[in-house]
Amino acid sequence: MATLVTTVTEVLRYRGKIGQWSWVLHRVAGLGTLLFLIIHVIDTSWVYFAPAMYEEAIRIYQTPLFTLGEFILVACVVYHAFNGVRIIIFDFRPAWWEHQARAAQIVFLATIVVLVPTFILMAQHVVEFYGGGPIDPQIAPVVENVVIPFGGGMVVALLAGVALSAVVGAVTGNKGTPGPLLSQRSRLDQVMWSFMRLSGLALVPLALGHLAIMHVIEGVFAINASGTGSAADFVAARWVFIGWRIYDVLLLALALIHGFNGLRYVINDYTHNPTVRRGLNWTAFVACVAIIIVGAISLIGGVPGM
Amino acid sequence: MKAIFRIRRYNPEKDKKPYWQEFTLEDVLPTDRVVELLHRIKWEQDGTLTFRRSCAHGVCGSDAMRINGVNLLACKVLVRTFARDDAEEVKIQVEPILGLPVLKDLIVDMEPFFSHYRAILPYLITSEPPPADGRERRQSPQERAIFDDTTKCILCACCTTSCPSFWANDSYVGPAAIVQAHRFIFDSRDQAADQRLNVLGAPDGAWRCRTIFNCTPACPREIKVTQAIGEVKLAIVRGVEHVRQQKIADLKETPAPEE
Ligand code: HEM
Ligand code: FES
Repeated sequence: MATLVTTVTEVLRYRGKIGQWSWVLHRVAGLGTLLFLIIHVIDTSWVYFAPAMYEEAIRIYQTPLFTLGEFILVACVVYHAFNGVRIIIFDFRPAWWEHQARAAQIVFLATIVVLVPTFILMAQHVVEFYGGGPIDPQIAPVVENVVIPFGGGMVVALLAGVALSAVVGAVTGNKGTPGPLLSQRSRLDQVMWSFMRLSGLALVPLALGHLAIMHVIEGVFAINASGTGSAADFVAARWVFIGWRIYDVLLLALALIHGFNGLRYVINDYTHNPTVRRGLNWTAFVACVAIIIVGAISLIGGVPGM
Repeated sequence: MKAIFRIRRYNPEKDKKPYWQEFTLEDVLPTDRVVELLHRIKWEQDGTLTFRRSCAHGVCGSDAMRINGVNLLACKVLVRTFARDDAEEVKIQVEPILGLPVLKDLIVDMEPFFSHYRAILPYLITSEPPPADGRERRQSPQERAIFDDTTKCILCACCTTSCPSFWANDSYVGPAAIVQAHRFIFDSRDQAADQRLNVLGAPDGAWRCRTIFNCTPACPREIKVTQAIGEVKLAIVRGVEHVRQQKIADLKETPAPEE
């Protein structure tokens, strides 16, 4: 963890060029999106497992904190997507590197160009919903329903992973793979390198399309504002069309594997104790599989009684 | 002009922690190199100031330092880089490169860096016997052009210690070792590309590169470092031959330099 502090302070001190800032933003945006995605998949799955809780979750999504978070999320995904494409282009044509700084500028510019009209559209939903009156920030329900259960859950999961790894280390004597250079190709890293790029390209239409429809054109405030006023009905109406379920399953699996593998990169960068590293990576792996399964069951199961 | 130096000092026998110390030099010329000014400080003001330099002409790679925030060779950078020629004063901050253990003042322990270098087998490996005429192993100018750029490396560590992935984790093999491996992987006379790609395909190999591009501008020899790393990753994923053909096609597009 010490090198995380070093990296943060030295990125500020080292006069790197634009690429350094692109990397910082890409990483932060990717992790931010993953954090949201984890919460989002779990509570959307309640539409199947616990419909009443789902209605409650949508109401929490409509509180001011989440409204602000939604703007940040959209900015993160748009920037990460554009910059991801930039990375992929230079990965496959390294000889074009001379244009990379220009490309990084274009990515920043394109992000702003896309975000300005997007934010205007989103702001219209916000204004419509909140009206002109004073806004109650409603921090308590967010802390109670999101920060404590999800934040607490993540901390517990991570600690449990590390503890388990320590126990396994004590019992089997295998403390995890230490630092020194190995000279054996890693199939995992090689496959994941390609996967990050292919899934990234597939996620450009999938993730941006999903955001455009659900967060910009319709908006979260529309989810329980029509027909019976039930969020589950909204989801059911959408899932009647099998194409949307396939779309959602693809988005779910690709984004989660991509995001959790990105998290693995970050874990491997900043943790050096082999036991801790192994524990965190296991937790990430188990969480990834579990969340995909939970999400897939509710996508296949659909809204009960519909 | 006047030069105000701010230098990161550390003497393991006396100091618990590194600290900054200021020195002022008069009569500094815009054409002075930073290494000359460090000498003046050492000779005229404080003989304990410790730094490496050998050739003083950008050939040996001994004097990589972080100067005003970027990795540079002290012997290759002029005062002019940091101030207009008619300026009254120039501020120059010098600290050791980051990611290798500091031994004293501006000197770092290069052993971890060199152990990564040795790991990629930086020498010709071939089962072909030497030519019967006792002369050199030959290759065409085109075969040479494919890896010409990466032959220029002087192992100064400017690139490796500019890389946030290396700062985060010093078991990452690092840009310099990848550049050196590139030099042999794409050499038509060498037969051990696979062995080297095994090292670079390991978890601490080229996969830790996040294409941040700090290394490319840090190179005092203007090697296209990030490009070389990209080519190595592609060579692992798609094969050396694929990259070689891509490079040959690229070389055809750019006209050959005049003799
Ligand atoms: C929308 C299209 C997307 C594209 C084109 C894309 C592209 C990429 C690429 C190319 C990388 C690899 C960077 C590297 O190896 O240096 C990457 C890393 C990453 N991505 Fe994505 N991605 C997309 C969506 C997402 C989503 C939806 C998430 C969140 C679930 C995400 C989370 C991450 C994370 C956490 C990393 C690791 C960052 C790092 O190691 O610095 N990405 N992305
Ligand atoms: S002293 Fe030899 S490169 Fe600078």
